[in-house]
Parts: sequence; C-alpha cells; structure tokens
Amino acid sequence: MATSSSRPVQGKIQYGAPNHERRIWLFMRLTGLVMFITVVFHLLYMHMVVGVENITFDNIDSRWSGPAGVFWRLFDASLLFIGMAHGMNGVRFSINDYVHNKILNFLLTAAVYGLGLFLILLGTIAIVLGVGGLGNLFQRLMG
Amino acid sequence: MAALVASIYRGISYRGAEGQWAWIMHRASGLGIVLFLYMHIVSIFIAAIGPGPYEWVHATLYTSPPAKVLEVFLLFGVLYHAFNGMRIIIIDFFPALGKYQRTIVRIELVLVVVVLVPAAIITLRGIF
Repeated sequence: MATSSSRPVQGKIQYGAPNHERRIWLFMRLTGLVMFITVVFHLLYMHMVVGVENITFDNIDSRWSGPAGVFWRLFDASLLFIGMAHGMNGVRFSINDYVHNKILNFLLTAAVYGLGLFLILLGTIAIVLGVGGLGNLFQRLMG
Repeated sequence: MAALVASIYRGISYRGAEGQWAWIMHRASGLGIVLFLYMHIVSIFIAAIGPGPYEWVHATLYTSPPAKVLEVFLLFGVLYHAFNGMRIIIIDFFPALGKYQRTIVRIELVLVVVVLVPAAIITLRGIF
C-alpha cells in the first residue's frame, strides 16, 4: 500500500509534505523573481544611467536625502537583505556539493553565515545612518 | 576539497552540452556576485564613515582601468545569473518546457548579449 502510493508515476510530479529544503527551493525562486526586477534595474540604472564614475559621496547623499530618499533607502535595504539571503544560500548549496566532511562543512557554512550576517549589519548601519553618518556620530560622541 | 577538484575536472570533461554549461556558469557567476557583494557592502559602509575614505575606495576599486574591465565581468555575471535564473524558474514551474531547454538556453544567451553589449560599451568608453 505504502510503496504503491509513493511510487512515482511517469509524467506526474509527486508532491509530499512541505519540508525545510522545499521551502528554501521556493525561497530561492521567489527572491530570484523579485531580484530579476530590482537587481537588474539597480545594475543598469547605476552603470548606464548614473555611471559608476559619478557615484560619488555627494551622489549617494543626494539620492538618500529628502522624501524620495526614504524610498531609495528602503529599496537599497531590500537589495541588501534579499541579495545576501539568496547569496548565502547559494554558497551553502555549493559547500554542500563539494565539502562532504561534516565538521569542515559545518565550519565553512558557519563562517559564510557569520560573515554574511556581519556584512548585513554593516550595510544596515550605512543605510540607516546615511553617508558620513557614522563619522558624524563618532565626532559627536568624542565631543 | 578533493570533491571540488573532481567536480571541476568532471565539469570540463563531461560534455553535458547547454544544460551543463548553463549550470556551471550559474554557479560561477553566483559565487562571483557574492564576492563582489562583500566588497560593495564594505565600500558603502566606508562611505558611512566619511567622504575622504570613500573617495579613495571609489577611485581605486571602482573607476580605475582594471576596475572598468572587471565591471564588464560583473555586468555579464549579474545579467547571466538573472536570465538563467528566470530559465530555471520557468522550467521548474512549467516542466513540460524541459524538452525545449536547449533552445531556451540559446534564447537566454541572446537576451544576455543584447543587454550586455550596450552596457559594456558605455562602461568601457571612458578608458579608450
């Protein structure tokens, strides 16, 4: 009974109960779809419309200022969080494919996630405080 | 690590045609984008420190001639990963299209080239 119901039927996909890796599979597709719009826009806008040589300190400052600045900061935060989550998962897939030693696999994965979370923190600080914001904060604290 | 070396060797010798090369390039571009993202986040954090440190980063890491050449690799990597990712999503959700996957890979590469060429010309204009 159990064997006949779990036997794959040709041409039909058998769906079992959702598990953790299936949710991650869906997560990678959904974040990929979102980033197909946001990241490709960000890439082409910054490289073809603004131009990398024009992304100066003042340029970032003006984009992050005013009412539109709130939108751009949220947009950039979405790139940071979604991009890093998708990327860290992709690196985890690669580690799982090549590193079969369980201890080494765990250490590498922990290092990638540790570094990723640290960089998300740095990026969030930059977006919240704005360009020059951390330097100004330090100057105020030093008196 | 031996598994990685064996995988790279098999990747080159397997001759799995379009689907296999699409997979290899998806992985290589993905890992490359993650490395770039590390640098990108650190440089924006440096901009949060002040204009002086950021201007140095901007001049050396982003606008020097070697950086301009690497920028074309970034454009290719992101565009390829984006379009190939769309192919993966389309085939995952419409498995019947799997039998046309070689054609879809070729269409996808044409789309990447169509977007990449003008972007690369704009990027490299400054250094010639």
